[in-house]
Amino acid sequence: MRKISIFALIISLFISTLAIANEVNVFNARHYKADSELYSKFTNMTGIKVNLINGKSGALEKRIISEGADSSADLYITADAGRCGAMDSKGTLQGGLTSPAIKAAVPKSFRTNKWVGIAKRARIIYYSPERVTGAELSGMTYEGLADPKWKGRLVIRKSSNIYNKSLVASLIKNNGKAATAAWAEGVVANMARTPTGNDRAQIMAVAAGEADIAVANTYYLALMLSGKKGAEQQEAAKKVKAFFPNQNDRGTHMNVSCAALVKGAPNKANAVKLVEFLLTPASQEHFTNNTFEFPMIDGVSPSPLVVNNLGLDFKQDMKTKLASYGKNQAAAVEVMTAAGWK
Amino acid sequence: MKFNSWFFSSFLISCIVLIPIITVFTSFFENTSNYYEILKNTFLIEYIFNSFILLISVLFFTFVIGTGTAYLVSFYKFPGSEFFKWALILSFAVPPYIYAYSLTAFFENYGTAFTILKNLFGEANYNKNIPKFDGMFGAILSISFSLYAYVYILARASFLYQSQNLIDLGKNLGFSKFKSFNKIILPSARPAIVAGLSLVAMETLAEFGAVDFFSINTLTTGIYNSWIYFDDLAFANRISFFLLLFIFSLFILENLSRRKAKYHFNSKGGFKKKEKIKLFGGEALSAFIFCFIIFFISFLFPLSQMFYWTIKFPENLFDLQIKDLFFNTLYLVILSSLVLIIFSLISNYGNRVSNNKTLNILSTLSISGYAIPGVILAIAFITFIAWFDNSIIKLLGFDSIKKIFIGSIFGLVLVYFIRFYSLAFNGIKSGYEKINISVDESAYLLGYSKRKTFMNIHIPFLRNSLLFIVILISLEIIRELPITLILRPFNFETFATTAYISASEDLLEAAAVPSLFLILIASFFIIITSKYILRETYE
Repeated sequence: MRKISIFALIISLFISTLAIANEVNVFNARHYKADSELYSKFTNMTGIKVNLINGKSGALEKRIISEGADSSADLYITADAGRCGAMDSKGTLQGGLTSPAIKAAVPKSFRTNKWVGIAKRARIIYYSPERVTGAELSGMTYEGLADPKWKGRLVIRKSSNIYNKSLVASLIKNNGKAATAAWAEGVVANMARTPTGNDRAQIMAVAAGEADIAVANTYYLALMLSGKKGAEQQEAAKKVKAFFPNQNDRGTHMNVSCAALVKGAPNKANAVKLVEFLLTPASQEHFTNNTFEFPMIDGVSPSPLVVNNLGLDFKQDMKTKLASYGKNQAAAVEVMTAAGWK
Repeated sequence: MKFNSWFFSSFLISCIVLIPIITVFTSFFENTSNYYEILKNTFLIEYIFNSFILLISVLFFTFVIGTGTAYLVSFYKFPGSEFFKWALILSFAVPPYIYAYSLTAFFENYGTAFTILKNLFGEANYNKNIPKFDGMFGAILSISFSLYAYVYILARASFLYQSQNLIDLGKNLGFSKFKSFNKIILPSARPAIVAGLSLVAMETLAEFGAVDFFSINTLTTGIYNSWIYFDDLAFANRISFFLLLFIFSLFILENLSRRKAKYHFNSKGGFKKKEKIKLFGGEALSAFIFCFIIFFISFLFPLSQMFYWTIKFPENLFDLQIKDLFFNTLYLVILSSLVLIIFSLISNYGNRVSNNKTLNILSTLSISGYAIPGVILAIAFITFIAWFDNSIIKLLGFDSIKKIFIGSIFGLVLVYFIRFYSLAFNGIKSGYEKINISVDESAYLLGYSKRKTFMNIHIPFLRNSLLFIVILISLEIIRELPITLILRPFNFETFATTAYISASEDLLEAAAVPSLFLILIASFFIIITSKYILRETYE
């Protein structure tokens, strides 16, 4: 009898609560507190429960692909257009994000019918005003990062980082693969150290004097300036300045956090509702004030921390379609790997 | 009576555990993508080289720290030696990835070390003078300080059984303390130390969290990346194959080195209980300092860093669903321990009563799950389920079974089972080896059935071994990362996954709270059970 009761116990432990019908399943690679606050708000407003599975983009994508048509995923949310594009090219997404609300909110180059941008970020150059002159920076472009004058002065993340992959993919789209391969070699030659740490660590390396320029996303500086990372990092952030490259040609490289509609989504209508909700002015304001990203829609202003310290009047690259980041992703990795970019 | 239900149940259990290994090996000859060609020319050598450097360095550090501390607390009395005896195992409560977070938090530019220096000496740019423990060196430190306890526990247990006669022998030969340690004590503890080191080796090669955090390319992360970013499962499996080969050769080396010599523990005649030598003055101080430094670096340092951050950024404490995380963690621990214990008991008993050669070989093979990194196990599992579902279940016209296995507690526990089966199986096996087969025969003569023998005789005998295994499994599951990350269901987080997710989003301070709780819970487990881990006699 004892044996039977133990088995019964095990089986009962396995049985989890029954699924609630009115729900939307989100495979989520963005883990900001602000996002979960928005999801709760959405549930309160609509009664639709948001089920989350958090993880890094790669692992989540693999699970969606392995589960195939049986996947429970409705939406895949990640912080890089390249990842959404890659999922699209693998045929794991479906069209349907075409409601008038979405189309009205998001500019064309920042969406397809399968995935849309929900918040913008720019990948820019940070520099030390003490060690870098205005003349050196004048007319600076991403292409210029390979200029030998930066030898031993540049820090940037590893080549495995998704933001770098998308940046390099956009360069391949604009300049071709061969030119970008030569460029990558120049960048590697200019590095002040073997790539290590996250975007914030690159900015701090400039503040600490390890390097003169760094490549990192816009919201990191605002995050440090906000004091959310402690007083020391707030001080450190004041020692670096932001520079928006390519102002004289196509504009600064833009990336988005994106929401993608998964093929076979069991709750497609709810998924579209959630995306529409994330694009409302209230949600966009919530993003800009907490994650310090740029809003996806017009009429919402970025956080004052971003406006005052990074500036608002810069030319965004609206020419390069974000869908090309995903298409050129593999080529980007190949180019960086071949250049010895760790 | 050889092919009874016991035989079939243990046969079945072994087969389930063997699935991922077979999956890895069968895909060895599949075609690989272009990535393989690129990688072969650039980074493949780096993967192998990094894995090798990591392994050798961690083995060196854990050997020195583990045997050094074990020697001091087993042979000498000095201030704090009773405390260090169990406190040194607390490092087990800090997984390598949390150690990595602490190292980074403390030593990074404008990190905790900077704050301390600024508060002590005023404003200045200290960043250049603060050493940076990142990259390979950071990973080596993180893994070593987290895993040396394996060597410590096993070396200490072995030192305890060394007879006073052995030490007297050294004295009579006029050996110095160091020489008798080197020539007598260490060699006779060799099997235990090697066993500890081989556990360290397997954990190091399987290590994912810390290595991923410092973005070091090892064989394990290489497998993960080629699967994730290049969709090249065949190549991932090919690297896995090399990794497994590496691990199996470690096993074989260890077995060979052991076979050359016979080791006995004299428990009856000739065993003289050892007198601990009391240390005075400088010697006592040095012993104390050595143990304290190790205790401080391995446990107090990460604990205080996580604690400091929790206080510095208290909003993270209130944001976290601590109750949910706690129950989820506990739920996995209880469920997996129960499943592992029950099935390992069945297969062990099945082996014992059927005494079948094939079964013996099969179960020896099946314990190799522990040698396969969790991340590879999870990948192989998903691959297998997807293949099985697409090519068999669907063909037969049934509904998909993917949801039952992928993203469910059932699937998660099943893969835990495969991963940690060897811990449970071997633990029970070594307990069983102490029960003479004649005990069973006497029971049968008394008219006991097989089941009654099992329930009324074996289980009570095995109680202590079972308890020890439960602790080991619990600690492993509390810390487990890659399998949980890849296979868990919706809205299901543990302390480990929450810490990892926050850290990967550059929110290290938010990772501090779950890390702190993880350390505290694991420490609690260790403290209440330390007397079993450190049991002085094997009954």
